[in-house]
Amino acid sequence: MGEYKAKTMVTASALRLKIEQTLEGRFPAALTPAPRTIREVTATGIAAVDKLLDGGFPVAAISEIAGPSCSGRTSLALAFVAARTAEERVCAWVDADDAFDPESAAASGVELGQLLWVRCGCNAKHEKNWTRLEQAVRSTDLLMQTGGFAAIVLDLAGIDPAQAMRIPLATWFRFRQAADRTRTSLLVLGQASYAQSSAAVVLNTEPMRLESLGGTVLDGGAFAISRRRQRFQPQMINARKPPASTWTANTQWAMERSA
Amino acid sequence: MSRELYLSIHAAEFPAQALLRLRPELRAQPVAVMDGPALQQTICSLNRHAVQLGAARGMTRLEAEAIAGLQLIVRSKAEEASARAVLEECAAQFSPRIEEVSLGTACAFVLDVAGSERLFGPADALAAQLRRAAGGAGFRISIAVGENFHAARIKAVATPGISIVAAGEEARTLGKLPLALLDLDADQSETFAMWGIRTLGQLAALPEVELVTRFGPAASRWRALAIGTAAHSFQPIEQALELSEFCEFESPVEEIDSLLFVAARMIDSLVARASARSLAVASISVEMRLEGSKTHRVALHPAIPSSDRKFLLKLLQLEAAAHPPQAAVRSLTIEAGSGQISKVQLGLFAPQTPEPSHLDVTLARIRAIVGHDRVGSPLLEDTHRPHSYRMEAFHAEQPDGRLAPHAARIALRRVRPPRQIQVTLRDDKPTTFRDGGELYSIAAAYGPWRSSGCWWSLGAWDAEEWDVLAADRNGVALSCLLVRDRLRDSWQLEAFFD
Repeated sequence: MGEYKAKTMVTASALRLKIEQTLEGRFPAALTPAPRTIREVTATGIAAVDKLLDGGFPVAAISEIAGPSCSGRTSLALAFVAARTAEERVCAWVDADDAFDPESAAASGVELGQLLWVRCGCNAKHEKNWTRLEQAVRSTDLLMQTGGFAAIVLDLAGIDPAQAMRIPLATWFRFRQAADRTRTSLLVLGQASYAQSSAAVVLNTEPMRLESLGGTVLDGGAFAISRRRQRFQPQMINARKPPASTWTANTQWAMERSA
Repeated sequence: MSRELYLSIHAAEFPAQALLRLRPELRAQPVAVMDGPALQQTICSLNRHAVQLGAARGMTRLEAEAIAGLQLIVRSKAEEASARAVLEECAAQFSPRIEEVSLGTACAFVLDVAGSERLFGPADALAAQLRRAAGGAGFRISIAVGENFHAARIKAVATPGISIVAAGEEARTLGKLPLALLDLDADQSETFAMWGIRTLGQLAALPEVELVTRFGPAASRWRALAIGTAAHSFQPIEQALELSEFCEFESPVEEIDSLLFVAARMIDSLVARASARSLAVASISVEMRLEGSKTHRVALHPAIPSSDRKFLLKLLQLEAAAHPPQAAVRSLTIEAGSGQISKVQLGLFAPQTPEPSHLDVTLARIRAIVGHDRVGSPLLEDTHRPHSYRMEAFHAEQPDGRLAPHAARIALRRVRPPRQIQVTLRDDKPTTFRDGGELYSIAAAYGPWRSSGCWWSLGAWDAEEWDVLAADRNGVALSCLLVRDRLRDSWQLEAFFD
């Protein structure tokens, strides 16, 4: 049996070598798998999400967190930014809805001195009357082209998906190119996924389930999250359902109380 | 002991040169500078194209306007002072010992260049370098080099281009120059004219004793000047670095682009002057005098001192676009603060940060899009008042040490400004609330969290916070922060948990 198996393997490898030599002029290494490029990822700071994403959000690519209001998008993005600033890196938060809360960011561990906050929604003295969405896209474009930011969060969570869907695909493609060139992780928060083929990762979030402590104090929340798209996953998985997970976040006062 | 060596630079028609320096488009045209009270203006200075057209000093405005194609510009003492400083800075690149010998409408300096051969080469090479540098700054100058201070000075006044007064040849070199180069009054000039004495050589040939007998002791000095042996005690000027440029417009300028066109040259000059002292521009202050005697000021503070003129001009362009002057501009003053040229030590393993000068331009561009006070780093204020922060300028600086990452915390999304809502209470706990036309029933309400402060001032607050889990009629869940203002007895939707 063993002798038969060895003979078969020798035959198979010889056959493969012969085919590859025959096709060498047209297809180099036709039957040898192409070497896989391992994409660099950075941890989000939340173990369950990192496990779901095989390590974290990809570096130099666009990642999207899509979901309805109160589904943990901001908490997840803040955890990611906090992890980046903890590594002495510089981040930016482009706030299309002017909804960013500095107190929450500080409580999440974000080093505010290393965070550039761009508040859209108020028109400067400019001849063009830009909408807050246009302001956010233009500001993100400028930051992406400048480079040097480890992470840029484009917060479109408060923008109507019907408007955000109108962002041209060429813009997302330019963002993807700029992210690749400047090694910046662009994280897009929204009620839906907008970047389409330019996004390396798309996560869907579900509304949270609040947890209380003794019925009088809000303790934290549990968030359901699922992976809808991941371009650079290490191996193909033929799963019927997208991979999903649950993660929890506590309120600041609950953490202080437990400490 | 090394021999004495002086280099004299002479910028004739300085009022015209000072005005044309920042207006190169006029240099090829005939230009005359008018001076004096409004109705009695006369030509005080002019360029060679104007001379070729027949214009001359002392012509009235009426006479000057009769010459077709002649451009008339009003004299600006401020621009002359600014140009004089630039020319002095230019000369200072070649010698620290400079004496000013300006006379009339000319601007002139004599440099003590003894011992500078090893730095700049022989005298003619030094003169050529200095003339090139002055030409780069927009000046046409004549230069003379000699061992005698006054011989070099007189030769530079009389002869355009570069002249070398060889040692021992002073009398022969100056011999053919006109007598008018000496500081004679009208009577003395007339007397010499009657004698037929018209050149310095002729004056030098006169017997000294008889000359002194007729004109007094001053005649001895004239004769010494004429033969190139006059002694001089060098009095160097104290040089203070004042990086300032001024330009006054003939007619008020309304367009920003036209202003920037002039400002670009002024910034060029400031950068070049700072660079000549191994310095960079750390700040720029622009003062625009507007019509109606108002003043508009713009200040630039780059993250690091820079010598990149394009970068500084871009910053100025963005700042001027964000804060345009409210009226036409009559004059422009740009003052620069100097700083050490920045050196950044990069590390192979250091995290990437934005390049400071690129970041400055990017932030200025974003400010132009979203507003001046809406870009920066948030800084939490030391108070118990909820939601207290202020915006600080963003500097991509790295902290001293790494921070420990926190566990995940639930975050709030603020509603700015907070929305007024109607809340129904049962046993002092909210049960439903109405936000606009939508009614939400509250499934769980956690609170109240009460805080108050500043009761002694106008900024007093007294609030009651409730963390609620609610749902609308369609069952869509919502987690939010409701705040009751106890001073005004009103409810507001402040934030969502997200």
